[in-house]
Amino acid sequence: MPTKAKMKQMFMIAALAAIALPPAGAQSRKATANARTADKAGSASDDTFDRAKTLRAAADALGMVRWSDIGAGGVHLPAVDVVNTMEFWGSGTTYGSGQAYKSGASWPSFKTEYHIALAYNPPAMRVEMTRTNPDAPVQGGAAPLHTIQVVRDKYAWDESEIGAGLVPGKGTATAAMAAVSNRLIQLWILPYGVVKAALAAGDKTRISIENGATVITFPLSGQLAGATVKATLDAKNEVMRVETRADNPALGEMLTETEYSDYADHGEIPTDIKSPGHVVQKQGGHPVLDIQVKKVDANNPYLVFPVPENVKKAAAH
Amino acid sequence: MMRFFRYRSMIAVAAALCLLPAAVIAQQLSQVSRTTNTPPAPSGPTPRTPDGHPDLSGVWNGLGDNLIGVPNQMANAGIAVETETSTRDVFSGARIATFPRNSTSPLNDEQAERASTLVRRMGSNRPIYKPQYWETVRNLDQNANEEDPSNNCMPAGVPRAGIPSFIGQTPKYLIFIYPGQGGLIATQTSYRMIPLDGRQHTPLQELDGTYTGEAIGHWEGDTLVVDTYGFNSSTWFDQVGGYFHSENMHVIERFHRNGNTLTWTATVNDPDVLLEPWTTTPRVALLNPNPKAVLPESLPCSERDLAHLATKEHH
Repeated sequence: MPTKAKMKQMFMIAALAAIALPPAGAQSRKATANARTADKAGSASDDTFDRAKTLRAAADALGMVRWSDIGAGGVHLPAVDVVNTMEFWGSGTTYGSGQAYKSGASWPSFKTEYHIALAYNPPAMRVEMTRTNPDAPVQGGAAPLHTIQVVRDKYAWDESEIGAGLVPGKGTATAAMAAVSNRLIQLWILPYGVVKAALAAGDKTRISIENGATVITFPLSGQLAGATVKATLDAKNEVMRVETRADNPALGEMLTETEYSDYADHGEIPTDIKSPGHVVQKQGGHPVLDIQVKKVDANNPYLVFPVPENVKKAAAH
Repeated sequence: MMRFFRYRSMIAVAAALCLLPAAVIAQQLSQVSRTTNTPPAPSGPTPRTPDGHPDLSGVWNGLGDNLIGVPNQMANAGIAVETETSTRDVFSGARIATFPRNSTSPLNDEQAERASTLVRRMGSNRPIYKPQYWETVRNLDQNANEEDPSNNCMPAGVPRAGIPSFIGQTPKYLIFIYPGQGGLIATQTSYRMIPLDGRQHTPLQELDGTYTGEAIGHWEGDTLVVDTYGFNSSTWFDQVGGYFHSENMHVIERFHRNGNTLTWTATVNDPDVLLEPWTTTPRVALLNPNPKAVLPESLPCSERDLAHLATKEHH
């Protein structure tokens, strides 16, 4: 049983707490009143709430937000964005951009096998593409080819084989510095890139409703400063459409539209990270890409993008 | 499909059987729930031995263990959850988006294991292998349940074993003891004897490769430097990632005591397979505050789960 002195002490603590802390009901009423005020004024706090809620919903829809406390009693970590490295395999059709055989004709199409390795920390992407045209003669100047295009931060280069130019006798790497922006933007218009970049843009990110759908609009930064991304979410908060219009010397003014659909966990080893099963991209209204995703490794696989020395030297000049 | 290989239960068994003092300390620490995985700030003086060097001796398991537990493994992999709204990749400095949990309920086993697989691999500090080995590393990691030597009761080796749970120190040598949890789970207890007498390495070609190699220590100011080579190629050099190595691996470890904390890094150089030397993210161990703390006997490692694996999901 508490002693008299202890009871007196407990009473004083309770009294102080009652003075210092408003009742829960009062706090709730105050929060509601604040929300109403924000509604009327369309204030920054309202925007902040919408932005945080929308981006969290988009991140959750993709399975990007996780925590795990296994084996560490007493540690309860907050949730974090777990997406760093990822690998995609797909096949479909690509189109020779602006290479129509006749004026006004559609751009030539090619059967294409895609293999994409990417990372967000640091931002990097390696796109290996094998293009064939077995069903028709090649017209319009675009011949069958196998390409490996890489970008990392401010460097871009082409590889004759994966990892070329890093050790003697293993292929060649050719600097392609003019392609940095064009390649880098592909990373940030993937669904995960959209969420990451929108979060990074902070209060420059705007949330709106268009035709009943949630739209996220934000500017890119760094190498891609001047480009704006507009992403539309579907009813499940998955990124279904991304439009980019660049005001950037390297990217030009062309509108790029990318549509994502058929989201699922496409991994051989399940991760609960969802990725699109179908990707269609248009530039200036012309289709440039129509890919069915066959497999995804989203388990942060071992993917590295060391910059070959000759590429660093070329960039320095 | 029924899955028998339960990381969570194995962790619990390993902790219970191998790390009783650690578990007791972890229980003491857990009375104050932490929402970060950063180590506590150092406190207290750094004791010195009569010859003037920092005294590294003691039981270094005050955080329960520096390897077991996903939050600790995230920290070791360079992901520092600093506050409830801020997370940083230690190697690159990149900020990582941090969110409130959207559930107060514990994750089920499947959710927790998938999440732990991702969070332990999301760091940017990765060894850079020569390109001809990129696919090998990826495949080893993907098939880690069967390929990881530590899942087969093999010694964790160096530097995977990390910070020893016990250090004994004399002017002429140090003794390191690693209880039988090794890397992640199911590994053997191992020990190392580190001479400090100024001797030189045996020529590499005269050494038979071993799990812990030939180690020689020296002091650089207040930092203990342990230089080791003469390994076999039967271990991986980090907790996750499929990071295999050759018999030509050379490891430099640095130990620095600050009050009740011990900071450790290792630099791995293996010119046969790596494009460049790789340095681990610094790890920090906390001194067991119980002056009577001892390490209990580890039970023999006995692996009985691999035959029941139904998927390639990591653990």
